[in-house]
Amino acid sequence: MTLTSAIDVARSGISVTSGQTAIVSRNIVGAGQALASRKLANVVTTADGGVRLASVSRVSDGALLAHMLGANSTAAQQRSIVDALDRLEGTVLDPELDASPAALIGKFHDALQLYSAAPHDPVAAQSAVAAARDVVRSLNSATETVQSLRERADAEMASAVDRLNGLLAQFETVNAAIVNGTRAGADVTDYLDNRDRLLQAISQEVGIRTVMRADNDMAVFTDSGVTLFDKKARTLSFEPTLIYAPDTIGNPVYADGVQITGAPGGMTIGSGRLAGLASVRDEIATTYQSQLDEIARGLIEAFAESDQSAAPALPDAPGLFTYEAAAGVPASGSLVTGLAGLITINASVDPAQGGSAAKLRDGGIAGPAYNYNPSGGASFSGRLQQLLDRMAEQRAFDPDAKLAASDTIAQFAAGSVAWLEETRTAANAEAEYRATLLERSSEALSSVTGVNLDEEMMILLGLERSYQATSRLISTIDEMFRALLAAAG
Amino acid sequence: MKITPISTKALFEATRSSLLKAQNALAIAQKEVTTGRHADVGASLGFMAGHAVSMRNDYARLGAILDSNTVAETRLAATQSVLEGLAEDAQSFLGALIGARSSDSGPKVLAVEAKARLKSLINGINTAVEGVHIFAGINSDSIPLADYFGMPAPASRQSVSDAFFAAFGMSQSDPGVSGISAADMQAFLEGDFTSLFEDPAWSTNWSTASGENISSRISTGEVIETSANANADAVRNLVRAYVMIADLGGERLNDEAFQVIVDTAVETAGAAVQDITALRTGLGVAENRIAMANERVSIEMDVLSRHITDLEAVDPYEASLRVTSLLTQIETAYALTARLQQMSLIYHL
Repeated sequence: MTLTSAIDVARSGISVTSGQTAIVSRNIVGAGQALASRKLANVVTTADGGVRLASVSRVSDGALLAHMLGANSTAAQQRSIVDALDRLEGTVLDPELDASPAALIGKFHDALQLYSAAPHDPVAAQSAVAAARDVVRSLNSATETVQSLRERADAEMASAVDRLNGLLAQFETVNAAIVNGTRAGADVTDYLDNRDRLLQAISQEVGIRTVMRADNDMAVFTDSGVTLFDKKARTLSFEPTLIYAPDTIGNPVYADGVQITGAPGGMTIGSGRLAGLASVRDEIATTYQSQLDEIARGLIEAFAESDQSAAPALPDAPGLFTYEAAAGVPASGSLVTGLAGLITINASVDPAQGGSAAKLRDGGIAGPAYNYNPSGGASFSGRLQQLLDRMAEQRAFDPDAKLAASDTIAQFAAGSVAWLEETRTAANAEAEYRATLLERSSEALSSVTGVNLDEEMMILLGLERSYQATSRLISTIDEMFRALLAAAG
Repeated sequence: MKITPISTKALFEATRSSLLKAQNALAIAQKEVTTGRHADVGASLGFMAGHAVSMRNDYARLGAILDSNTVAETRLAATQSVLEGLAEDAQSFLGALIGARSSDSGPKVLAVEAKARLKSLINGINTAVEGVHIFAGINSDSIPLADYFGMPAPASRQSVSDAFFAAFGMSQSDPGVSGISAADMQAFLEGDFTSLFEDPAWSTNWSTASGENISSRISTGEVIETSANANADAVRNLVRAYVMIADLGGERLNDEAFQVIVDTAVETAGAAVQDITALRTGLGVAENRIAMANERVSIEMDVLSRHITDLEAVDPYEASLRVTSLLTQIETAYALTARLQQMSLIYHL
């Protein structure tokens, strides 16, 4: 050993210490960032007894990351469902406000009851027709709400698909940098962090599984097993539908040519915002729409008029409640999609459209043959009593509406409120649970892989001391050189 | 080498998220304390929200029944008082008739009285309550009985004159009526005159009322008749008795013929009084049923309103306790955040 080699060792110590300090400062800067992992300097002893910064690695935990990504997907899915249900709840509101179709049907029933007590009273007739108009309006506007919700879900699916394609393209770049860097032995830790962040963003849109390969290469699949990234990014495609009518069927999303939403073959994604939006668009909103349609059909059916001639020849026809381009009374117990958007008050009974409200009492809304009060008695209440009875009758409803198959109109409408609120309560509870899960798993991941400032400060203290000691070493060796040179001089 | 169990970010994130949650919960609890109901009734009740809507509907429906029962009650009360007046009138008219038999107060006095009573009967039968002619059946927008003494003579009076002329070949004011025998008068009264007050003559000449009474739904499933009718026997008989005395030329008749009229009138008016009593009893039964229905409906409404409150309300004490504990929790979180901020090695190096 020579003084020269001693000073070489000391110099390598200085350079390693500065390298380590650089890593500490990288850690400190990254402390506030999400998914910034703690970096470690790997120091090795060289053949001449010095030290060298061999590589930089990071603290990572694949299991915790996968857990966090899964929680992220389901949380995003539930959030989109809860948002949609909250919008649907706008058609129902607090029971106290009496704003739901069910409550308005109740109010209409009351107006009809009051009219039956004063059938001669044109004001009572008009208020009953006005209450019926409120029912119709609430069904029309609820249909609009449901369809605009579907439109919005469709648009959000389109933007989610765009976003995913962008993210996957970025992923391709970052992944290539990682693979090349790993092969070259470069420091790829920041790229790895970056890739984790991309995974987090992707998992928000769609549930994913990842597979690690050699050289830190990663492949990404949907949770249903369709490839999103393997060496190259795959394309997601989706044809958005701009305008939704109740009978519109939205297009599915394809990944790598495979259908991943609403697919019959089991490739349907199970989580992520896309999955949530697809279930809103194709299941929740359509079920609610069919409930509204059945309420509308029930009303048309209950208020239909029968031919009152001595020898009835005409078929039953829609009375107070009818629908655009009406063609008879719809068949009992079978869904007519979109009826809630088409239901209207028959013009011949609606004073606002030039009709006579008293036809509600007398019948004859559908035509002269349907007159229930041929003598024209002003206090004739037989037809009104019949209508009240028919509102209280059990009638058949389509099981596709996912409510009771036989119920009174008011009860069926209340059942729809119950269905909506129950779905909402369940989704809220699930969303809360998923959000907590996400929080916990993010916390666990961050705790294991993240930076603790205090720890970094302590490491910095050690580095400072080591730097001081090494400097002292160098100055001592320098002294020794000087002494040697002086002796030799 | 990893020795720390928690990263700085996780440490701050934990307080941040728990603070957010507590603030959210505080907003909800505050709303519940002020309104006494769930902050989001729908989400809190779930499928029970359907019950809440149904019960509110039922409650409103029962309220509407109570309201509409008031209409029927008013009508029934007005009908009762009119009928009561008619019965009193008929009673005193009977008294006068019986008095006339024994005394000599004369047909003229009786005719005046009968005229006045017939007028008041027509007036009573034509009573309208809130735009409804209560004795007109469902044909409530037309006046049931025309003014018998109106000018020109209505169909009713004309039919009486025609029948009289057809029977005796002269009008009631003809001096020759004094020659009508008691037997002829008896035959006329029992025959043509009586049939004037029977259908179809009655509904053609006298009454525009519909034979169908007004019916009302007095509870969820109970529909009853809630009006009396100008076509009732009580009304026909009473009108017949009054017209007999007032408009068959009474003062010009001979004593025997007039006596026949008085006797028939006593009989007819007596029957009318009994009919009125029967009618009033029927109406009284309807009134009673409404009263019972109202009572039942009120009890149901009480029960429903209790259920609605049970369903939608929160315990205000529990909610305010929740506010207090959340406030403490949030303050602690603030203090903790401040302390955590201080707790770093950099302040000690």
